[in-house]
Amino acid sequence: MTIRRSTRARLGLAIGAVGATAVVLAGCASTNSGGGSTAASSQPLIIGTTDKITSIDPAGSYDNGSFAVMNQIYPFLMNSKYGTAEVTPDIATSAEFTSPNEYTVKLKSGLKYANGDALDSSDVKFSFDRMVKINDPNGPASLLGNLDSVETPDATTVVFHLKNPNDQTWAQVLSSPAGPIVDEKVFSADKVTPDQTIVDGKAFAGQYDIKSYKVNELIDYVPNKDYQGNLGAAQNSGVTVKYYADASNLKLDISKGNIDVAFPSLSPSDISDLRTNKNVKVVDGPGGAIRYIVWNFNTMPFGATAQGADPAKALAVRQAAADLIDRPAIAKDVYKDTFTPLYSYVAKGFTGANDSLKGLYGDGKGGPSLDKAKQTLQAAGVTTPVTLNLQYNGDHYGPSSGDEYAKIKSQLENGGLFTVNLAQTEWVTYQKQRVDSYPVYQLGWFPDFSDADNYLTPFFSKENFLSNHYDNPQVQDLLAKEATNTDANSRKQQIEQIQDLVAKDLSTIPLLQGTQIAIVGKDVQGTTLDASFKFRYAPLHK
Amino acid sequence: MVTAVDAADFASPVTAKRGGLWRYILIRLLLIIPTILILVTVVFILMRVTGDPITAALGGRLAPAELARRLHEAGYDRPILVQYAEYLRNLLMGDLGTTLTDNRPVTQILLQYGSATLELAFYALIVALIIGMPFGLIAAYRRDRWQDALLRTGAILAYATPIFFVAILLKLILAVNLGAFPVAGRASTRVELELQSITNPSGIYLVDALRLGDPAAVADVLWHAVLPAIALGLLTAGIFLRLVRTNVIGTLGSQYVTSARSRGVGEYTRVTKHPCRPALIPIITLMGLQIAALLSGAVLTETSFEWKGLGFMLSEYLKARDFVAVQGIVILIAIIVAVANFIVDVLAVVIDPRVRY
Repeated sequence: MTIRRSTRARLGLAIGAVGATAVVLAGCASTNSGGGSTAASSQPLIIGTTDKITSIDPAGSYDNGSFAVMNQIYPFLMNSKYGTAEVTPDIATSAEFTSPNEYTVKLKSGLKYANGDALDSSDVKFSFDRMVKINDPNGPASLLGNLDSVETPDATTVVFHLKNPNDQTWAQVLSSPAGPIVDEKVFSADKVTPDQTIVDGKAFAGQYDIKSYKVNELIDYVPNKDYQGNLGAAQNSGVTVKYYADASNLKLDISKGNIDVAFPSLSPSDISDLRTNKNVKVVDGPGGAIRYIVWNFNTMPFGATAQGADPAKALAVRQAAADLIDRPAIAKDVYKDTFTPLYSYVAKGFTGANDSLKGLYGDGKGGPSLDKAKQTLQAAGVTTPVTLNLQYNGDHYGPSSGDEYAKIKSQLENGGLFTVNLAQTEWVTYQKQRVDSYPVYQLGWFPDFSDADNYLTPFFSKENFLSNHYDNPQVQDLLAKEATNTDANSRKQQIEQIQDLVAKDLSTIPLLQGTQIAIVGKDVQGTTLDASFKFRYAPLHK
Repeated sequence: MVTAVDAADFASPVTAKRGGLWRYILIRLLLIIPTILILVTVVFILMRVTGDPITAALGGRLAPAELARRLHEAGYDRPILVQYAEYLRNLLMGDLGTTLTDNRPVTQILLQYGSATLELAFYALIVALIIGMPFGLIAAYRRDRWQDALLRTGAILAYATPIFFVAILLKLILAVNLGAFPVAGRASTRVELELQSITNPSGIYLVDALRLGDPAAVADVLWHAVLPAIALGLLTAGIFLRLVRTNVIGTLGSQYVTSARSRGVGEYTRVTKHPCRPALIPIITLMGLQIAALLSGAVLTETSFEWKGLGFMLSEYLKARDFVAVQGIVILIAIIVAVANFIVDVLAVVIDPRVRY
């Protein structure tokens, strides 16, 4: 009994100590009151995402996760209104070419940041100059390749001097990851500014101000009452974004109602499952991400440096492969229709997207044709089966890549025309080896900005990033013309012509186009998924 | 009468013994340096061999020439020895660098996420003690009976089952199917926001929740810790159980326990009190050694439960090939393990003079 009494006494002492500690610690605690407006109409929302932030300094990151934050907190000279990809002046009153090499932007007057600093042309010049100067390896400075200099004749006028005249993508570049305007009193001129410095400096003039920030864990946004851009005030009183590493945890939380919105990104099977859940709504929108196969014109079968090099036979091999691929089956069976079949080089929804591949290959209606593939190979004198060493990556484009390429292997081998050796390589090694070692391989693309050119010039110009030795002077000539063509109709025709030419050459075979999918609680309204590919928090409300 | 010579002869072994202890401590302390240096070198080489952060992040969008240019500008194409020398020089200056992928000082990463890992390790140790000690006692008392067999089998399963598997099972059964516990995270969103609002938070959520003075927040934090703590603690609990069982069996048969019985000491006291203290000494030693196991287990536990600590971040930075961050985290872990082992070695010598040094 003595021992029991002693134990009880110790237990009581321990509980008392914990309680006392709690009281003392509570007395020591103080909280930051934060700031921002609370005048908006709806209660705060919680958004879950699997995105990751690299840096919220525009000069230091070029990824979807970081850009998603920037879209809420920084103003842009040009931006797209909800529901459209077309860009119009945001914190500007006008933006236009005042001469072939000069793009002049007039700012609204009285602009300011959440910290009270004035926002004028000096900040705009500072924002672009520092991005070019810092040229961070992880940053988007390459998008400003056509920028020669920035001039500021007065406090509300900015003149961009461009190297190449009439750059039709420039307005889009100003709304891209290279375009956020930052406070010159907070940001460093020559190096990437730490996130906490930006948050502490309240250098925000977008729709939201950040109240508290814990990178890749939790961000608490409150509406910025000083925002004067064209997108209007937030429809909610605040948004908290919670970052998930595991998409299955995100799915569980949205299905249990622990969060209001999940974007992005869930697996196709999770999305399919949630479509039957009465507590949530699945909102689909146009997507800019595409998946495609790249042919190396040197090392592919019958390629320029391969054994038995023969350009005609190499072309026949590419065409036969295009005849056999069944895109609708891949979209349905592997991606549960979260991707759609893609028959054009420019993604659907953009100017000039024309389904150039649909009529040329397969059954002419989007399906495969074994007979046509046989005829193509026979006509070129190609002995079958042709061995294809097809490479893909399993850790960069999502876990379904394995299923996708198993399906493609099966489709290509159907009928015995091809023998496919399928191999997977880890992403970093994949990037090093793809250029010289892989004759046929998988890649994906997400546009830098919403313009058709972003699906053409990076791929089919002579110095294309694929480095697959594709070289068609006619295509390059048209690319140069469309990029500077001020006539919209004529430019559209040129974009279509480029696609028709590439479709015959088959430098790449487009396969699928992703859709944007957000899962929202049944009481959440205002979800906006459009071809700007910017997920805006401001129109959300419940 | 004792002469001066006799006195010197008598005193010298003691002096030698004391000198030997200090010499032993000094040598063990110095051995920490090459241990960490070897580990740092191995990690440095492995990380450089497996890639760079720029290729991992942007390789899919850049032409090879542009990629090479960026690698050159970042200095990743310099001879590895040059990079290594520079790295060691910075390390000696106490500069662990800035992460390559998210531009954050490594020291800030260590402070922010180290506290989360420390908190998890603490919870796991509590679980290990709560399970390992009493069940070890029961197994010893019921030696060779079905209870002993059952507990020994359980102990083997506990430390032989991979942590990630235990984590998945716990999540599936207790969180997803029964909904009794949260699936992941260290606190609910509401509580996390409250904790973020504290001035100078410790990063140890329990302490911060106590500072808030909100019982609901404290309960929420503890509720979130249950499954991760069990997943990580079971490994050590199994080892503790077997060790306690073995030691208690040894002491139960000793003369002083038999004499306690003859003096009429009750069965409960004789089993729980008498053999407990001798059995605790190896447990304390083992706790030090288990720190390494807990830290390596934390990588899997934290990843499974999205417990954003050092293990979770290590996994994230490894995927991004951020070798500066990985090196910083590994160095910290190496220092913790080396220092813990040093303390354990010294304690072992102090507690048990039979240990040779």
